Amino acid sequence: MSLELNELYKSFGGNQVIDGVTLEIEDRKVTSLVGPNGAGKTTLFNLVTGFVAADRGTVRFAGRSLDGLAPQAIKRHGLVRTFQNLRLFLDMTVHENVLVALESDLSVNFWSRANRAPAERVLRRVGLWDKRQQMAGELSYAERKFLSLARVLATGAPCLLLDEPAAGLDGPSLRLFHELVREFKDGGGTVLLIEHNLDIVRDVSDRIVFLDKGRIAAAGTPQEIFSNPVLGELYFGIRVGGARGEAAGHAAR
Amino acid sequence: MLAYLLNLAILLGIAVILAWSLNVLIGYAGIFSVMHAVFYGVGAYVAAQFALHVSADFALATLAAMAVTGALAFLVSVPVLRVREEYFVVAAIGFQMVASTVFITWESATGGMGGLTGIPPARLLGFELVSPAAYLALTLVCTLACVLVLLALVRSPFGRALKALRDDETAAIALGKHPVMLRLVATTIGGAMAAIGGSLYAFYVSFVNPESFTLDYSVLLMAMVIIGGAGSLLGPVLGALFITVFPALLNFLQVPSSVLGPVQQIVYGMMIVLLMLFMPEGLVSAGKLLARRSK
Repeated sequence: MSLELNELYKSFGGNQVIDGVTLEIEDRKVTSLVGPNGAGKTTLFNLVTGFVAADRGTVRFAGRSLDGLAPQAIKRHGLVRTFQNLRLFLDMTVHENVLVALESDLSVNFWSRANRAPAERVLRRVGLWDKRQQMAGELSYAERKFLSLARVLATGAPCLLLDEPAAGLDGPSLRLFHELVREFKDGGGTVLLIEHNLDIVRDVSDRIVFLDKGRIAAAGTPQEIFSNPVLGELYFGIRVGGARGEAAGHAAR
Repeated sequence: MLAYLLNLAILLGIAVILAWSLNVLIGYAGIFSVMHAVFYGVGAYVAAQFALHVSADFALATLAAMAVTGALAFLVSVPVLRVREEYFVVAAIGFQMVASTVFITWESATGGMGGLTGIPPARLLGFELVSPAAYLALTLVCTLACVLVLLALVRSPFGRALKALRDDETAAIALGKHPVMLRLVATTIGGAMAAIGGSLYAFYVSFVNPESFTLDYSVLLMAMVIIGGAGSLLGPVLGALFITVFPALLNFLQVPSSVLGPVQQIVYGMMIVLLMLFMPEGLVSAGKLLARRSK
């Protein structure tokens, strides 16, 4: 069920945003995309999920080509994404937000009531079951983040593309996020993650891909990437050779 | 006085059904349709023709009207829904103008400007519904049937998908929703439901002509939904109540007939502007606002 990106190119108005990206996202692993703003991370998500058409190149998932497919068709192939700005259905309840995600394969179905158990299970897991009747627009920022995550987890899709899911979360929320990603992976799921919180990236990732100016500048295990002196100095703010190579901050933010 | 009130109640029932049918589009699917009077009109003409040439059975005539109008709404929506937002409004106005012309010129089907006359009283289960009270009962049954269908609809996966599309189309698509398919079904349902109002109207007044199904009436229907509050079941009822009862109130206050029309237009326009400024969710949100203030 691996996700393969082959020689992807995309430009906007002469600006080459994605410049020949070839990448294999390994099955049942968490792969993080990192890099400075404007590196092309979200554009890559948009290309993979069909929201933007590539100028050139191919995307395959589980051996099947996704080229030219509409986003809703790509979702049916098992790839589901979140958005940096969350895009919750604010005038719908928390419960409805998750039910919509569960019922997504039946685009027109009046009578079928999807199995509500997965919605309950996911909402309980992210701590929002007690707020299920509240409007999504009434939730706090952190709760909205978890609702966004619950929505994609409920779909049962094998591959999640998460766009900055941990941004702005505090300690306990970050721990919960970490647990959720770990559980999803242990259950056989694949995650492609865009995240600027480098502590989270280091903790949850099996592999890190460093994107810069639309190209893959480096790829490897967290240890390899974080110990790379050039990348560390330039983007992570890490002083290699310092006490446990500590992160000086979220320089890539 | 009783006859007047019965008449008002029947017209209100028809307006509520029409506002609900438009609310499926505006409130749940996020489609700002300015052509709803067309579906109301087609429903009325089909029911009238059915009554004149086939049977005056209300149920059969209404089913025929719903089938034809639903099919027309579907066919019209295929090209029209390809354009978005403001372009859709323009396309809808264009369709309304074409349809108004067809209502006037297709004399064999619509009777032209003279309309269709002599529509027999509705029959239901072997009874002829002649008295206004009986017709009001029929209108109430139709209204009840519509609200039950709408309740089932908005609580179904389809209803949730529509609302999701209205709230955030990009997110809905990312979750697998098919926007064109969903909107096509919504416009078909809205069109078919408008035909119920058309059928009720045709049998009630026993006469239909193009003047009842103009662009002005499409705008008035839109005003009902917006003034009352789109996206809820109560909102269109409040809007229909306001739009139907307000002229009656002006009559009651003996406003001269020469200024009645302009006064109505000015008040509707002002209402919409004021509501957009202070209560963008419509009259239905007044309760919420009061509750918030009392806290």
